[in-house]
Formats: sequence, structure tokens, C-alpha cells
Amino acid sequence: MAAPLPPRPKVSPLERRKSLTGWAFLLPASLLILWLSFWPMIQAAILSLQTGRGTRLSFAEPLWSNYTRLLEDETFKLTLQNTFIYLVIQVPLMLVMALILANLLNNPNLRFKSMWRTAIFLPSAVGLVSYALVFRTMFANDGLVNDMLMGLGLIDSPVNWLGQTGTARFVLVLGLLWRWTGYNMIFYLAALQTVDRSTIEAAKIDGASSAKAFWYVTVPQLKPMILLTAILSTNGTLQLFDESYALTAGGPANTSMTISHYLYMVSFRNSPNFGYASAISYVILIIVAALAVVQLKVGDKRD
Amino acid sequence: MRTTARKLAVMAAVLPLGLALAACGGGGGSTASGEGGGGDGDNTLTVWAWDPAFNIYALQEAEKVYQQENPDFELDIQEVPWEDVQTRLTTLAQSQETGELPDIFLMQNNAFQKNVLNYPDLFSDLSGSDVDFSEFPESVVAYSTVDGTNYGVPFDNGTAITALRTDVLEQAGYTVDDFTDITWDEFITLGEDVLAKTGQPLLSGQAGSADLPVMMLQSAGASLFDEEGNPTIVDNDALTAAIDTYQRLVETGVLVEVNTWDEYINTLVNDSVAATVNGVWILGSIQSAEDQAGKWAITNVPSLDGVQGATNYTANGGSSWAISSNADVELAQDFLAKTFAGSSELYDTILPGAGALANWIPASESDVYGEPQEFFGGDAIYSKVVGYAEKVPSNNTGAYYYEGRDAVSVAITNIMNGADPKAALEEAQSTVEFAMGS
Repeated sequence: MAAPLPPRPKVSPLERRKSLTGWAFLLPASLLILWLSFWPMIQAAILSLQTGRGTRLSFAEPLWSNYTRLLEDETFKLTLQNTFIYLVIQVPLMLVMALILANLLNNPNLRFKSMWRTAIFLPSAVGLVSYALVFRTMFANDGLVNDMLMGLGLIDSPVNWLGQTGTARFVLVLGLLWRWTGYNMIFYLAALQTVDRSTIEAAKIDGASSAKAFWYVTVPQLKPMILLTAILSTNGTLQLFDESYALTAGGPANTSMTISHYLYMVSFRNSPNFGYASAISYVILIIVAALAVVQLKVGDKRD
Repeated sequence: MRTTARKLAVMAAVLPLGLALAACGGGGGSTASGEGGGGDGDNTLTVWAWDPAFNIYALQEAEKVYQQENPDFELDIQEVPWEDVQTRLTTLAQSQETGELPDIFLMQNNAFQKNVLNYPDLFSDLSGSDVDFSEFPESVVAYSTVDGTNYGVPFDNGTAITALRTDVLEQAGYTVDDFTDITWDEFITLGEDVLAKTGQPLLSGQAGSADLPVMMLQSAGASLFDEEGNPTIVDNDALTAAIDTYQRLVETGVLVEVNTWDEYINTLVNDSVAATVNGVWILGSIQSAEDQAGKWAITNVPSLDGVQGATNYTANGGSSWAISSNADVELAQDFLAKTFAGSSELYDTILPGAGALANWIPASESDVYGEPQEFFGGDAIYSKVVGYAEKVPSNNTGAYYYEGRDAVSVAITNIMNGADPKAALEEAQSTVEFAMGS
């Protein structure tokens, strides 16, 4: 005989009505998300198991052949590698810079604070394609950057920025830093307002230097926000498209192309292969999910 | 109070859903009424094209020509950039919403086979029309012909030309005749001499673009694919020769590489280079530099050395009109047959108006084509180019043409950076075969 169940807590009619009202408010948005977001995801999952020409698709044989196909796709491997290079270099660099900038701007004695803040945040308001095109023009062989460097006498002949793998990737990362550092800084700046100044002052009275106080007192209090921005930036970088498409056009020889750019090529520029493209998109999803889990495990010690 | 709360909750639940469903209904409604084309017999054709100064202008003139016979005929021209035309077509075909298609759309010749082979349900074929395809150059009709069925009426001409700066050549002691009917080896020798005497390179091109090598390839009657559509990137003598020629052009400094299309155009209009080899449509950009009037001349392109079937004629680009599966087919066919495939008057208007050169051979017999062009030193360049067009060898494109071109571009970039040509081309071949083996 099983032990008798503990008596359920009594729900008053008022509480039940409140809870039902709550559910009623949640329902429409949930239904819309289910219909417009989750349903297409399920369809994409089914599509990723199919193969064929144009709309004449049938289930692949074996079913997972689009996924095994990925392992032999040299272009996919190259674009995956490119994307990870951007991720590993750009995301930490950007978050550290954003953190430092936020801390500087949080200094109560700083003058023209809102001007600095606006200046650093403003790039986030610029359209992705437009800034990519401006960067492309600036880094052209006869562009502003080469002219400036030559004018300063730092280089003798123009650097072919977008024509070489290393420099093309560098320009792309530089563009990302310019565009997104201010955006992340605002998150940190907001979080810093919740940090009690007295904790920092207490640390300083105990003899901690500014750097130590920042590292041991401020940063731990910002941890949830650092975690959030890390996950958001990782997600964003893995889905990077505009910069690869408009700034470097994937070149030279695909060595600066991102996975999402390759996904677009497979779907719309090349002979369309939507089954395979869906498989690629699911790989991105799985990587994003896996990295988010790792970051949560490493970063969130609340329980 | 209680009822108000409940009412609010119900409204919160129902309103967004209602709106969403309304949006659905709206979408469905417009499909039924045929927002795009549709055989509704109202004497209006909807068309997608992308260039107001060029193909859209040509459509407007075609509309006027056709209205002479059918006064209540109208065109509804929608400006859609080519990349968006491709994305829309793919999306509509994939979601089987062909009811949203226009009656007629313009398509890049290079993309034609890919779209017909993948999405035959987007097109209406032209077999029942009055269009006489023997009045177009064979190589141009081939782009839009699948299994012997015609799906497109050729519009703009992609015949390749060499455009040269006569003033620079003169400084080096040459004339245009020295560059006519020559081979690439001779071209490089001349180019080195011009570079030594004037300091100006002859050509410029986008690094990593396969445009020029592919033009060389076609000039020898060769392609990246055979007639069955299998890639022929390895053991392709013409391609090997083309890439080798391209490499020598860059190494000798006769061709300077730039990174973007804008930079390429700048080299032409800023006097950086003394020549260019491209589709005849490049003349539009060249003529935008008004201060260079009278300094340009055109001739045919160099041929590949030591390759069987080498000619001095090739093509790059061009586009054709397609009739959609959602069209008023009879009206659309009649419109195309009586304008782009049958009206000298139309071509006589759009040639001087937009530099739109006809593929339709009878048009070249008109006097307008024989008129001397001031910008090109008084030469009758248009009848010259139409003469070249008839001699251009056919090019097999197939469904995987873009994959082939991109793979060859990658191979060329790698070869320029020191990779072994044979290995690089084998890699390109396997990339294309991989894409085809889905």
C-alpha cells in the first residue's frame, strides 16, 4: 500500500480565479509563439530529414543522411571554423572592453558623462548592412584607412585588407567590436547602478586597490549580467550573417564566410537544397544550445 | 468588477488571435484575387524587372509599342532587384504560393537553367507562342532552353567586347587594329609594352571573381559543365589555359586586381586603366565618364592560345523574359512576340535611350544600329557588337552553374596564392560534385 498522499493545499476560489486570469493572459502570446516560432522549427526539423530537387522532396535514405553529409562538406567545415574564430576572439574582447568602458562611465566624477555614453552607444543604432558597407569602403585598397596609414608613413604601399584571409577576418572582427561594444556596455552600466557603492568603499577602506576592488567586489556582483551578455553575444556571433555577406562577401576563397552566410548560399544562390540547409540550421541551434548550457553551468552558481 | 476582469481576460485571449487570423484571411484573399498575375483577362500584365534606367525603361517603351494595337493594354511594372527576384521566386515556389507570381519576370541568363530545373512549376513554356527563336543567336537562346523547350525570350545582350582607350594606345604607338583578332599571348605582350611606355595597366578586375576566366573559357566553346550537366573542371584544357592566362595577366601587371565592383568601375572612369574586357553592358558605366568622350573604341576579345575551337567571341551576363505559371499566358506571349521578339521600332527607341542592345537579329538591320557613336570616336559600335553576338559559342550552364563558378573562383584565388593548379581544380571539381550529390 502506498503512503497516503499529503492533503493538497486548499485553493480558495479567489486564488483559482486569479490563476486562471493569469493563464488567460499568457495564452494568446504562448499560442502565437507556438504557431509562429515552434511550429516552423518542427517543420524545419522534418525538412532537414528530406532531400530532393526544388519542391519535390522525399525522406532521405537513411533518414539522417543530410547530417552525415555535413561531415564531408569542406565548405561547411571551413565556415564553421571561421565562425568559431570570430567567436573566440571577438566575444571575450568585446565583453572585457564593454566592462571597462562601463566602469569608467560609472565614475561619479566623470564630466560630460551622457555625451560619452551616447557616443559609445550610437554605433548600435546603425543598420548592420550600412555599417558593413562603410567599413568595406574604408578598407578598400584606395580607401580611407590605407590613405591615413600611408599619410602617417606607417606603411609604404596599400594593404590589401579584404584580399587576404588574416586581414579580412581582422576587419570583420573590428567591425563587430565597433558595432556591438556599446550595446553590451549599456547592459553593464545598468547593472552597475544596482551595485551598492558602500561595498566598494568598504573594500577600499580595507586597503584594496581600485583594480582589486573592481575584480573582487564589482565583477562578482555583475555576474548574472555578464552571463546574460555572454550568452546573447555567443548566440549572435554564431548566427552572424550581414557582416560576412556585405563586408567581405565571404572572401577571399570563402575564408571569411560564416555558417549563416553559407546557409543562405545553399538556399538561395546555389541550386536550392532546403533539406540540407535545414540540417545546417539545426547544427547552429545545437551548438548555440550546448554553449548556453556550458555557460550557465560555469557562470551561474546560484543553486 | 468580476465580470470586467473576465471580459478583459477573454479579450486579451481573443484579440491577438483574431488579428492573426485576420492577417491570414487577408493573405488568402489576395492570393485568390491574384495580386500578381492571373489569367483574369483584364488586359494588364504585371512584370518584375530591376533597372529603371535599363530594363524597366525598355518595358515602358514596349508597353507604348503594344498599346498601338491594344489601346487598353497596360503594364504594371514592379521594380525588384535581381537578388530579391531570386529570393522571391525560391520562396514562392518552395511554399507553393505560385498565385503571387507576376505575369512576366526578368531572369539572369546564368540562373535560368537552375530555376527551370528546380522549379518547373514557376514557368509557362513558350512552345505555343509566335516567338521565332531562330531570330535570336543560338548561344543566347540556349540559356533559357531546357530539354528542347523554350522558357524565355532573350532580352539584353551579354556579348563580350574589349573596350580600349585610344589616347593611351596612341602614346604607346598602337591603334585599335593592333588589338583586333589577336590572342591573349599577343595581348599580354602588347600590354607589357603599354605598361612600360605609359605606366598604365590595360585591365582591371575583381580579385576572386571568375568573370574573366569564364569568358575566356566560353570563347573556346568550352564550359564548366558538359551537355549532361556533369562538371568538367578537371582535365579541361580551355579552363587550364584560361586560368594560366589570367595568372600571367596579373603577374605581368597587365591586369590589376581590386576587391569590389565599385573599385573596378572606378578604375575605368578615373583613367587608372586603359582597357576592359566585359559584357557590352559595361559601356553604360564607361559612358558615365563624360570627359572621356571620343577616347574609347571597341573591338573583339582576344582568343586563347593553343586551345581547340578558340574564337574571339564570348559573352558575360545578359537576361531573358520568362512567363510565369500564374500568367495570362496568351496575352503575355503575344506581348513578348510583338515587342521584344518582333518590333524594330522598340529596339530603335531603347538603343539610343538606354544603350539596350538587341539580341533580336532583325533589329540590327535598322539604321539606328549603324549610326556612328560620338563617344566611341564615330564608330558604329552597335552593329559591330550585334555582328559579334552571332559568333558567340554556346555555354552549358545547368542547375549548378553558380556552384561551378564559385568553386572555380576559390580555385583561382588559391592558385594565385601559390597552390598547385591541378590540385586546386580537383578540389573545385569535388566541391561541385559534392553539391550535386544531395
